[in-house]
Amino acid sequence: MCYDHELMAGASKRKLKSALSANSYYFSGDEAIAEGAIAAGCRYYAGYPITPATEIFETITSRFREIGAVSMQMEDEIASICSCIGASWAGAKAMIATSGPGFSLMQEAIGYAVITETPIVLVDVQRTGPSTGQSTRVGSGDIMQARWGTHGAMPIIALSASSVQELYDQTIDAFNFAEKYRVPVFLMAEEATAHLRERVDIPEEIKLFDRKKKAGAAPFGTEESDGVPPMPTFGEGEKLLVTGSTHDAYGIRKTVDSLAQEKLVTRLHSKIMNNREKIIEYEEHYLEDADIAVICYGFTARSSLFAIERLRKEGKKVGMLRLKTLWPFADRAISNVGSRVKKMLVPEMNMGQVVGEIVKYASCEVVPYNQVNGEIIHPHTIIEQLRALL
Amino acid sequence: MGEIKQILLCGSGGQGIVLAGKILGYAAFKDGKWVSGANSYGAAARGGECESEVVISDKAVSFPHVIEADFLIAMHPSAYNRYISSVRCESGLVIYDRQLISPKRSSSLKHIGIPATETAVKELSSKMVANIIILGAAIEITKVVTKDAFISALEENMPERFRELNLRAANIGLSMSYNYTTKHS
Repeated sequence: MCYDHELMAGASKRKLKSALSANSYYFSGDEAIAEGAIAAGCRYYAGYPITPATEIFETITSRFREIGAVSMQMEDEIASICSCIGASWAGAKAMIATSGPGFSLMQEAIGYAVITETPIVLVDVQRTGPSTGQSTRVGSGDIMQARWGTHGAMPIIALSASSVQELYDQTIDAFNFAEKYRVPVFLMAEEATAHLRERVDIPEEIKLFDRKKKAGAAPFGTEESDGVPPMPTFGEGEKLLVTGSTHDAYGIRKTVDSLAQEKLVTRLHSKIMNNREKIIEYEEHYLEDADIAVICYGFTARSSLFAIERLRKEGKKVGMLRLKTLWPFADRAISNVGSRVKKMLVPEMNMGQVVGEIVKYASCEVVPYNQVNGEIIHPHTIIEQLRALL
Repeated sequence: MGEIKQILLCGSGGQGIVLAGKILGYAAFKDGKWVSGANSYGAAARGGECESEVVISDKAVSFPHVIEADFLIAMHPSAYNRYISSVRCESGLVIYDRQLISPKRSSSLKHIGIPATETAVKELSSKMVANIIILGAAIEITKVVTKDAFISALEENMPERFRELNLRAANIGLSMSYNYTTKHS
């Protein structure tokens, strides 16, 4: 349920000089993401402004000026993500933030980051779609795109936050996961939390993980049990080839070698899926004796918890499970809760995305609630939906 | 369960509603409270209704938006008409700009009219700070945040060239409210 213990065995507890001092702050979600990135050691940001993610770009640019890191406005989102991939190979922790339309443009390069095993953090502050949609309004329609958007889809890691504090915390987690597993990591934020202002507590020290390094080791193959090879940086003296084509352990192109293709794809898959229990986090509320469970994520979890606490006061047996990790999917947790409750309600600000995954793993009745009007799902709506199921 | 106060500020784009909400939220944060602040976010910078919501609590805020406002601070008639239905029946209080809004006669809610825009023009020659005057008055009436936190929120968040003017507006607001509250206990 918490990645902290095992995954972070190799992490060091420290505080970077340029990060904010331990204290409480009143931040918007976008500001918290920028500060989380700086705290995690991000020193390269490339982007193209887009509502509702622009404030991340603005905040990080002004903070980078103070600490001497690099932020670039590129000509578009494709160039932005490609330059982040380059920066990562040059040794920097790199981040990019965007919203739906930019996320769509980045899909090809996301696949390139996956096959080249490049750690980058990508923040998608979701708004309504498709296309330009309503740029200032909230939605969470990019959940499946995060998983399946790039061709030949391989597992990635995608996180979902419900508060401004969690946006800060999960940005740090995202960098740690990216460095640990050498994958692009997505923070699936939403307009509703990105523009919310809340208190953020910043601790004295933060656990940080830096990519493994081992002189002379193969950068794209490993016999190690976690399946993640060490990653050299250009300029360190290693012979380094980085290619989007299928390659062997040393990065040599193997474009018609069946075994090389199978070996690479299998390892890219298993380095995430074999470690999924260390990655997946979720949170349970009032599930001990619940007959109905709300399965939710992101901002909708705030409405859901409020609704559940109201109904509990009336003695109604309702509870919830909040997904903090969207991908890899919390299949075991869902199957476990599904065997204990009679029904599940899945409220989403899309036409039904995560609900499909839940149906795969839950043995109980699963009821979707979908709202796509650009507004948050109000607690009253969830109360109404739950009453209909009770 | 900790005490929760829900404050809704509304007006017309350009009146500084969003800024007033941010200052109020920051002041509550300075008081050591849990706060969630949200506001309308759109393309209308001037004109058009806009709102700002602040939820202040002694413990972590579960749902971060206003469900039933304890206090409505209103600076424009159409926004007032729209948001008055969000105010808590019976115990809710409406604080409005006296020059700009005529309260609904049918409303049973307690109303307090503040001459915010009027005073801003007369005493500070700037309509721009009416938002801070009405906010100051509202803070004095409702005590949702301390006066010190309000002043330091302004000091920390206002650009230097506007700081002095806003602090004067805040002090006018804080001291004027008394005259208008006596009749309502």
